[in-house]
Amino acid sequence: MGDINSKGITQNTFDAIVIGSGISGGWAAKELCEKGLKTLVLERGRNVQHLVDYPTMAKDPWDFPHRNHLTLNMKEDNPIVSKCYAFREDAMQFFVKDKEHPYIQEKPFDWIRGYQVGGKSLIWARQTQRWSKYDFEGPARDGFAVDWPIRYDDIAPWYSHVEKFVGISGNKDGLDTLPDGEFLPPWEMNVVEKAVQKRIMDNYKDRNVIIGRCAHLTEAKEIHLQQERGKCQARNLCQRGCPFGGYFSSNSSTLPWAAKTGNFTVQPDSVVHSIIYDEKKNRATGVRVIDAHSKKVTEYYAKIIFVNAAALNTNLILLNSISTRFPNGLGNDNGLLGKYVAFQNYRGTLSANMDGFLDSYYYGRRPCAVMMPNFRNVHKQETDFLRGYMVFFSAYRSAGHAGATQMGEAFKEAQSEPGNWGVSMMMQGETIPKETNYVSLSKDKKDDWGMPLLTISVDYDDNDEKSLKDFLSQGAEMLDKAGCKNITTNDSKQAPGLDIHEVGGVRMGKDPKTSLLNKWNQLHACPNVFVTDGACMTSTGTQNPSITFMALTARAANHAVEEMKKGNL
Amino acid sequence: MKRRDALSTMAILLGGAIVSTDVFFSSCKSNVKEEYFAPEDISLLDEIGETIIPATASSPGAKAAKIGDFMKVYVTDCYNAADQQTFFAAVREIKNLSQKKFEKDFMKLTVPQRQEVLAELEMEKHSKVESKSKAPGAEGDAIQTGKQQEANKTSLNAVSNRYFSMLKQLTLLGYFTSEPGATKAMRYIQTPGSYKGNVPYTKGDKAWAT
Repeated sequence: MGDINSKGITQNTFDAIVIGSGISGGWAAKELCEKGLKTLVLERGRNVQHLVDYPTMAKDPWDFPHRNHLTLNMKEDNPIVSKCYAFREDAMQFFVKDKEHPYIQEKPFDWIRGYQVGGKSLIWARQTQRWSKYDFEGPARDGFAVDWPIRYDDIAPWYSHVEKFVGISGNKDGLDTLPDGEFLPPWEMNVVEKAVQKRIMDNYKDRNVIIGRCAHLTEAKEIHLQQERGKCQARNLCQRGCPFGGYFSSNSSTLPWAAKTGNFTVQPDSVVHSIIYDEKKNRATGVRVIDAHSKKVTEYYAKIIFVNAAALNTNLILLNSISTRFPNGLGNDNGLLGKYVAFQNYRGTLSANMDGFLDSYYYGRRPCAVMMPNFRNVHKQETDFLRGYMVFFSAYRSAGHAGATQMGEAFKEAQSEPGNWGVSMMMQGETIPKETNYVSLSKDKKDDWGMPLLTISVDYDDNDEKSLKDFLSQGAEMLDKAGCKNITTNDSKQAPGLDIHEVGGVRMGKDPKTSLLNKWNQLHACPNVFVTDGACMTSTGTQNPSITFMALTARAANHAVEEMKKGNL
Repeated sequence: MKRRDALSTMAILLGGAIVSTDVFFSSCKSNVKEEYFAPEDISLLDEIGETIIPATASSPGAKAAKIGDFMKVYVTDCYNAADQQTFFAAVREIKNLSQKKFEKDFMKLTVPQRQEVLAELEMEKHSKVESKSKAPGAEGDAIQTGKQQEANKTSLNAVSNRYFSMLKQLTLLGYFTSEPGATKAMRYIQTPGSYKGNVPYTKGDKAWAT
């Protein structure tokens, strides 16, 4: 390829380059710009501006010709992404379509992606729980993966730092399995959820039932008003983009904030080919970028580079960053780059009915569920599988109750009223990172931009099957003790990936022989390259991952600035 | 089948947006021709829908929600070929039953007569046209467990009948997501402003449309 640089080196030189504008890239940009670094954010997708590019945000159900269902053509053209719960008529514009960006599945893997400014932060599920000390200690205690190079106390101040800015609603529950954060007022449970909560906690002394914690402004504080964000309106239409800025996204929050510093440049339609490595300096010096439309290649230069392309694409870029010094990918001296990919096990769900409580209903659409922090193997190994799972549940009254008639006035009335209460429950299970779960580059297949296709080889294992089985039996037992009826269990058998919680491949660790990144998210072998998205994760925990990516990013960015001041970078 | 029995677990857990979930359709290309939905067909579908969901004192019916137009769009764009065939066969069967029972077009029948035709349709067995794909418009079948599906079948009607249930599900989906259905027959607020976990409910109060 020709590295023709039309603008000249000076014009293409920044203090920092951030690859990716999603939830972690946005945080890197905000922190670096605030500290005075001229920062270029490269995004492979199109530009999406807050409010301006949310075409469906104000639509009513009848405004959608297929009432928010997918057409047959859309499903047939997109067998992978159409499995995603949020890929519907109202938000499909924010998802990668299958044919646009192929990849190779050595084993079934549903890779759900959002290529646009803001990335998947527009369409994420917005649930945000801190990791606990037990999660960071897990690999060392149970002897899998490698030991995390950090502990809860290292990241706790950074959780606080990002939580205040993002705006996290939650209740101060005082649990060491799910530490409290900087919380805005919590969402409320409905009457059936409260009843289930009480009955479960009465029956199980070591299990806690708490309201979900999520990135929604239940109260807009000064810092949020400065971002021009307002209170969440309980619409639960979030994946369309929020007209109120009620939930956190890069588009509504970190990117415009970074722009206000005057140090920020975002460049959409910029596919990063690779990171440029200078053998003499033993540093990365910049990145090669392919224009998404013209396919023209341009180089950009900076002192530090943050890789936040989303977990698997970050792996792809590093694997594709080949030099004499790093023939197997940047920083990949130990051959572990791309390996120890993990995800979260979402296969188990339950549903049940709850009699009574018919004099109560709810108002508004709450953007979170009730949850139970992991109660398995917390203090010691207790089961025949490693680690555990978070439980989520919700109670609801679905519209329409069964009647004898199938048509006419009485039928219409029955369908117009809320029916009995139902309860729905699901798991979010920790999976064990393994060398055999990996991504690699195709040797012969390339995409339209000449990038090698990513080959994904990730699967469940026996530990996941046992964890699933345990959740289904424990879930059924808890719902039974809670007084539910008609309890049914289900194994969706969904492929890995559909959880959209894939992590790893560039894991953090203490030892350069067994990990790629140090405790500050720097490549051991190329310290001015930082990886702070999901790729850096050593293990998965049972929590929704994004808040941890954000905290790690802010922590790493501040470390990078300090090191630059000291002349170390 | 009880409407909305089957809900997307994710949708519920993320706040109970109880809009129907996807049904997995088999891979057949659409072969609906424009002529299958001539204006008189749309009128007939309007009346079939209106028989299932009639106008009442408090709210307009399916006809006012343009249910025929909705069925045209949904059947054309969202159904696979096998389900489309079932749909057209159901409409033909309604025409046949109207002639057989009353020697009149469905359009010329009284409301009780129309109900009788649809009730007959509901009772009939049509095993020869049973499609292997999931019942179209039967929202969220994909996430129902086998047990739930079994329970629904037996509790509703021992005779599984796709003709009627398909038309009923289409009518319910189209009507309750229409402006008159959502705002008059149910309650709809796009921007609630807040969430309250416990508000008093009195029998007869309408359900939230979303």
